[in-house]
Amino acid sequence: MLEGFFQIALTLLILVVLTPIMGSYLANVFLGKKTFLDPVMTPLEQGIYLLGGADPEENMTGRQYAQAVLISNSAMAILVFLLLMFQARLPLNPTGLGMPTWDTALHTTISFLVAADLQHYSGETTMSYFSQIAALGFLMFVAPATGAAVGIAFIRGLTGRPLGNFYVDLIRSITRVLLPISIAVGVLLLMAGVPETLAGPQTVTTLEGATQAIARGPVANFESIKMLGDNGGGFFGASSAHPYENPNGGTNFLEILCQLLLPAAFIYTYGVFIGNIKQAWLLFWMVLAIFGVLIGVTAVGEYFGNPLVNSILGEQTPNLEGQEVRLGWAQTALFAMTTTATMTGSSNAAFDSLMPMSDFCALFNMFLQVIWGSIGTGTAHLFVFVFLTVFLTGLMVGRTPEFLGRKINKREITLVGVIVLIHPILILIPACITLGFPHTLAGISNPGFHGLTQVVYEYASAAAGNGSDMAGLGNSQPAPTALWYNLTTGVVLWAGRFIPIIAVLLLADSFSHQQMTPVTASTLLTDNVLFTVITAATILILGVLTFLPVLALGPVAEAFLIAHGVKS
Amino acid sequence: MNSEFQTSPQPLRPHLGGPRASRKQTLKVNTKSLYQRAVKEAFVKLNPKVMVKNPVMFVVWVGTIITALMTIDPNLFGSVPGKDLRFFNFLITLILFFTVVFANFAEAVAEGRGKAQADALRATKSDTIAQKLLPNGSIQQVSSTALRRGDQVKVIAGDIIPSDGEVVFGVASVDESAITGESAPVLKEPGSDVASSVTGGTRIISDELIIRVTSDPGQGFIDRMIALVEGAERTKTPNEIALTVLLAVLTLVFLFVVATTNRNTRVNTASNTVRAISFGVFVRSAPSTKAIIRSINPWPGSDVTRIMSSSEMMRVPPVTELATSDPGSFSTGADSPVIADSSTLATPKTTSPSDGMMSPAITFT
Repeated sequence: MLEGFFQIALTLLILVVLTPIMGSYLANVFLGKKTFLDPVMTPLEQGIYLLGGADPEENMTGRQYAQAVLISNSAMAILVFLLLMFQARLPLNPTGLGMPTWDTALHTTISFLVAADLQHYSGETTMSYFSQIAALGFLMFVAPATGAAVGIAFIRGLTGRPLGNFYVDLIRSITRVLLPISIAVGVLLLMAGVPETLAGPQTVTTLEGATQAIARGPVANFESIKMLGDNGGGFFGASSAHPYENPNGGTNFLEILCQLLLPAAFIYTYGVFIGNIKQAWLLFWMVLAIFGVLIGVTAVGEYFGNPLVNSILGEQTPNLEGQEVRLGWAQTALFAMTTTATMTGSSNAAFDSLMPMSDFCALFNMFLQVIWGSIGTGTAHLFVFVFLTVFLTGLMVGRTPEFLGRKINKREITLVGVIVLIHPILILIPACITLGFPHTLAGISNPGFHGLTQVVYEYASAAAGNGSDMAGLGNSQPAPTALWYNLTTGVVLWAGRFIPIIAVLLLADSFSHQQMTPVTASTLLTDNVLFTVITAATILILGVLTFLPVLALGPVAEAFLIAHGVKS
Repeated sequence: MNSEFQTSPQPLRPHLGGPRASRKQTLKVNTKSLYQRAVKEAFVKLNPKVMVKNPVMFVVWVGTIITALMTIDPNLFGSVPGKDLRFFNFLITLILFFTVVFANFAEAVAEGRGKAQADALRATKSDTIAQKLLPNGSIQQVSSTALRRGDQVKVIAGDIIPSDGEVVFGVASVDESAITGESAPVLKEPGSDVASSVTGGTRIISDELIIRVTSDPGQGFIDRMIALVEGAERTKTPNEIALTVLLAVLTLVFLFVVATTNRNTRVNTASNTVRAISFGVFVRSAPSTKAIIRSINPWPGSDVTRIMSSSEMMRVPPVTELATSDPGSFSTGADSPVIADSSTLATPKTTSPSDGMMSPAITFT
């Protein structure tokens, strides 16, 4: 057991070391300072701006920035949808895959566009290599880059700077951050044994004498951006549990680190922008502490295993059903928490088979969206909670609620309210409608508490842009309930991504236009331990209170049943 | 401000039991009758017409009525399995009912305090007889309420200044402790920006002045203060508006959670209990946040009377914010500068609570 926790602690320690390095680099990139890639990338970027007709010096207002995000994302979505629909006539299709159903293609497009990568299909039997590389691979770069651009624009607004230019931020995120690092990670994955080929499936004769087709393809490049960009859409249906995507402990470690790197670095980047590294570290440690607790709960639950199974075996073993034995319980727990916390959503085990408390923690991550959160927008969500804390505590101690010298007034609170309100609406209302028609819509494989968890998980994953999935729900074609899930989660994915982005950008805009109030002896300090602890409490109370009923009815009830030895 | 005032031999610290000793009595709020009235008000306010003005508590009140109905018939909204349902629903009803009543009670106490403080302020501005100077030079005794802007009045030592005005002749010291809390008399003389204006309700304690009235009845400084404290004409501060928005959002979140959990009863039956408990938790947490905030920041201007009764601390009262024309500082209610720091302790002698005065820390040399 100690070894497992040692692995987890070591991984997190390396994250702590890497965060300031990556955070400073991100700050240099987005502040326009000199970086080591300038000689190669600057001419390339200039060329792109020239081709696209964007003026890199032009600053956008919040409204213009949001418009740029929406228009460019819609254009990309239409392009990718058409590519998917016509994949049968396009090259690089060694297995001769036909057209996916229109709802699967639509859902997949939206899902990859919002960096959720909720997959209602299996990659190896639905998507041609061309669709994987050109359509989905393309979105896997631009979706996290959009998130990063929005996050940076938000940080700029918060610190009183102009918001910048969306196209410039988008391009720079790809050329300076995602592309170089994903190439490096891709090479490392290749070395570890991840395949990279355009050849079709390999047909082999098994030891029993039967023939088997083993799916392969250009996996390494797909895998690196899938992890680094917190996308999470697997090349294969089994995602990171597939040995070609995640062959050994080394790749598992690398993939976990890739997922955490950018969301964690963004908090540090904020500190560099504001010139207050202390506050960035406090927020970083707050998130890491909550993250650590969630990993601890998951790991302990998986280590002690399922009491029902243990009583049959007559000994206490870790819960390994649905898990990769080559990775083990500790790596599974760490991976499961990382992937739900960073909104990657690529699991290395079947989430349906994890212990109820692991589902609890996974849901918890997706309900809060700030325990790292997705690249850029996760940090913005974190500050939404900081604003709420400033507002509540400021009023309680009789100080004007202001953060970084900028007042939080009705407009700001309304926008914060939109972000706080949209998440439970997007999860609870569709889940409630679905559960209202268990036979025609829900398609639950395990009725009872676990079935409720499955449905709520599906919509939580979509609303938070996570994309992990509790298999066992009839959400993939040709299941009769697939159309319902494809369409509803499509709407939830879109709204869960773009409505908060618009609100965050308008929030940044209104902060950047405010006159800064100078710091006086009576200013509420936000960079001390006390305030950070209250922020953590606000996050937990708001998150837990909102979703307490579903958590109690789903994983908590199931955990009690299992603890009492009752088969659900 | 002329520098000679700063070197005046008057003591910096107020002498205790000075001219304020008697006023302290009038400022005391009769707490017993206040609470008695508040208890009665708490039940009067249960009227849905009144409750609907506060959406958060209105939701709680509706919830109380629904659980009360479910106490009478637990199966009112579909059959619910379980034991002792009546008792459970009754407990929830009771908790919710006390929540509503306590919130109303807290509000009534706050309102009652405001009224009492307004009465105290009104006592300061007693209806005095003013000696109005007529154009022909003779003096006419008129009520202070009959004075109009532009009239000239004569005040001599011991008089209460009948209205806000500007000194046109004479030099005198004026006790302005009623509005600034500063008991050291302030010298008034014509021709200066700050030292020439006087405020109605303050007392001239030496010599005599001729004052040109600058405000019509009911629009003077004290009148605006009373209106502010009574809250009748008070516009909500930005913080209050923002808080209302936030609480409305939280209430909406809660309604969504409860409404959607309700439908889940089709999947399993334990949800009834969970629903009731979550309802209770939400309802308890939402209004108590508001109650905490209310009790700490009841309304802008409430510090005025506190300062009047504890003159040992020379603070910057929010009242000076009100007197300025800057609507921003007037409206922020919970704003911070009431905290005394060393700079505001300086030179209280130069305090002149007249229109346009920002804070005693500002001196004119």
